[in-house]
Amino acid sequence: MTGGISIAGVTPAQTLTPADRRELAAIVRDLYAAGKAFAFVGGGTDLGLGNAPRALDAVVRTTALDRVIDYSPEDQTITVEAGTRIAAIDAVLAQHDQLLPVDVGDRRNATIGGAIAVNAFGARRHRYGSIKDFIVGIEIVRPDGVVAHGGGKVVKNVAGFDLPKLMVGSLGTLAGIASATLRVFPKPAATQAVLVRSDPASAWFAACMDDRALEPVAVAQFPDPGGVVLTFAGVAASVEQQIARVAQLAAAHATTAEPLAGEALERCAALEAAVRTGGAWRWTTRTNAAGARSSGPSPVTGALEIAYPTFGVRLANAADDALVDRLLAGRGTSVVFGAMPQRARGRVDAWGEPPASFPLMRALKTNFDPKGLCNPGRFVGGL
Amino acid sequence: MSTVAADPLHVRFAAIAGARNVISAPSELRTYECDGLLGYRIRPRIVVLPATTEEVAACVRLAREHDLPIVPRGAGTGLSGGALPVEGGIVIGTARMNRILDVDLVNARMRVQPGVINLDISAALAPHGYYYAPDPSSQSVCTIGGNVAENSGGAHCLKYGFTVNHAVGARVVLADGSVVDIGAHGGEADVPGYDLMGVFVGSEGLLGIATEVVVRILRKPQATRTIFGTFPSTDEAGAAVSAIISSGILPAAIEMCDQLAIEAIVAATGVDWPLDAGAALLMDVDGVSVEVEHTAEAAIGLMRAAGAIEIRAPRDDAERMLMWKGRKSAFAAMGRISPNYYVQDGVIPRKDIAAVLREIAQLGRDAGLRVANVFHAGDGNLHPLVLYDERVPGEEAKAERVGGEILRVCLKYGGSVTGEHGVGRDKICYLGEQFSSDDLDTMKLVRAAFDPAGVLNPDKVFPTPRLCGDRPGVYVPHAAELSGEAGRG
Repeated sequence: MTGGISIAGVTPAQTLTPADRRELAAIVRDLYAAGKAFAFVGGGTDLGLGNAPRALDAVVRTTALDRVIDYSPEDQTITVEAGTRIAAIDAVLAQHDQLLPVDVGDRRNATIGGAIAVNAFGARRHRYGSIKDFIVGIEIVRPDGVVAHGGGKVVKNVAGFDLPKLMVGSLGTLAGIASATLRVFPKPAATQAVLVRSDPASAWFAACMDDRALEPVAVAQFPDPGGVVLTFAGVAASVEQQIARVAQLAAAHATTAEPLAGEALERCAALEAAVRTGGAWRWTTRTNAAGARSSGPSPVTGALEIAYPTFGVRLANAADDALVDRLLAGRGTSVVFGAMPQRARGRVDAWGEPPASFPLMRALKTNFDPKGLCNPGRFVGGL
Repeated sequence: MSTVAADPLHVRFAAIAGARNVISAPSELRTYECDGLLGYRIRPRIVVLPATTEEVAACVRLAREHDLPIVPRGAGTGLSGGALPVEGGIVIGTARMNRILDVDLVNARMRVQPGVINLDISAALAPHGYYYAPDPSSQSVCTIGGNVAENSGGAHCLKYGFTVNHAVGARVVLADGSVVDIGAHGGEADVPGYDLMGVFVGSEGLLGIATEVVVRILRKPQATRTIFGTFPSTDEAGAAVSAIISSGILPAAIEMCDQLAIEAIVAATGVDWPLDAGAALLMDVDGVSVEVEHTAEAAIGLMRAAGAIEIRAPRDDAERMLMWKGRKSAFAAMGRISPNYYVQDGVIPRKDIAAVLREIAQLGRDAGLRVANVFHAGDGNLHPLVLYDERVPGEEAKAERVGGEILRVCLKYGGSVTGEHGVGRDKICYLGEQFSSDDLDTMKLVRAAFDPAGVLNPDKVFPTPRLCGDRPGVYVPHAAELSGEAGRG
């Protein structure tokens, strides 16, 4: 069964779906021994990310590896197999009023292994950090089929090199992820979002960021409804007080603050999902907080865009090649494409210029995958 | 300053770093024979204290020319022998590189040289209302370069994370003397490619020498409340910690001291903690005021429910500082109750604190040694201190044996042999009990990418047959693990 999977436009001859982690290792070992190029795929929700693989004989799908290996609510850690869907993890954690702060475009289909491989994050990164900040252990299958572990199950651990962090965002080019242990978090008693019709370049925004009475869990800028959405979470009294404080600051800066609920909140979520999953072209721009606060609204007029101004990330998509050409003109390494039309493959590098540390990255790739068979060519600088 | 440079290399290194910054006279090398782990001592051939990235790079290149193994060193406060020299090798110390290079409040970043002392970062930021979160107990003397090498923790890491969550970029001199920037230097969320900084932090000087570090800084919280509670024994205190963690509230720090530790701290600092308490918890709660009040009250309620004898708040900021000073000087305070002590560092799941402390106490009783405990309870990061008297024949060896058995207890509970002190030289032979040889071989692939010849900090972290015997504590995975029926940490 091929299941119609293609990675950045390249369709493999074979899709293999191991039933357990032992079989995963065996399949990888056999592919490597046979000199076949392969890639790991989880929910298949981010297959346009990066460049087209140079070769792709087989896809190894992790979706049958969907067991919760260990969940310790009292210790706030969970160990899950790579193919476990984010929504399934949400459901398990909800039984104990806990959450995993991983934001993806499609929770029902995206898997934790895939989320780790692409370093998925969203607005909650402001409070919780990215997966790097709460992954504590990993089990990988190296391209040669050898199973290895890094980190562990406890929340604090400096024994050995930090393989879990190395795997975050490595796009399955060093190894396949078999399972991972993550720190989870208590679900706040109350959560409330508030929309302020302003932007990150405003004096209002600066005042919010400087105010020690405000600790939002998420800050996001939306084109519709136009403004900045701040989300607060915690005990109800604290959330109420912070919402009131935002309103006060908004009034002081001649703008308004509207608590978001029900339909309005769903519209924001739907828009965010649309930005993350739609568009012939889809990209992430990284600047920094200062950049986000000085530039104001979208620099690429016509793109559908949301921004996380506190850590300088913008997510956008568009259909129009001309828009993207303008974007590419002043690119640097700060734009990464999550999708592009087939006609642009080869012309536009999804990652831009590799960073100065690229020789180290290449050395890592060579050491982990000497035959260059594991998702070859899809990552930065042709790794 | 050396009067006579007997070593011909002295002049060569002096040409790079200046004569007064090169040490090769045996009497002066003694300072560098060990770090905070005093049990191991090796005299290096030469010590150089460069002042710039270029000087560090030149030192590395010269060392390579002469096949000298290279050991990087910060303030030398490490407790695992990570800065233990190699015989005939060079030590490159970064203590002179102690300048703050840049403070960027809008992006909440600060760029510092590696020899900047941890606490000096927060001191420099205090006028702006910012601080640097990781706070190892040695923070008034340890340097950020060493913190990066060890992925240092500290009491307030419970809420805020460890060095790896705060050190986001570095300029690094690699083993071939080349210089490279890794991680994010301009306040970006991350940079495309592998997370080199993520694996560099905590690599214990095996991957390179950081000559500049970019750290994330935090705005000071609106409110902080400190709570001190005493308990009949570590059973009740451990149960209180487990109850607090599993209830879903997140204090900034939860520290535990047992009766022996309280006794030592009282003797050393004069805090008026009750000597008859079996255990005490010291806790900070911080954040937005209303949240802090709620969290503090909830924590106090859980402490009472777990059997707290007495709960206090410091009367004023001075008393609060004294309480924390008491906690942070606890290791040194052990000198008040024992001629010698062996510091251990292991991690366990937080739900098992009370049970593990009972096992540790039993190990001590069996060996006829006292074991004090003062540790980061909220993280499950134990610091048992095995007390002994080196003048009593055999006691030191016995203490070390108890220390080793404690690590095995941590592993039995699914924990780790080190939470923040590192593997260094001290624990290399235990690493093979926590990880399989495939795990370790995979980590060595990372090392080989950075330092193919293995000249940076050799004989650290990874077990070798020479130091640990042929097959040091080989870990064999159970079939159930591979088929998905069981996991491990």
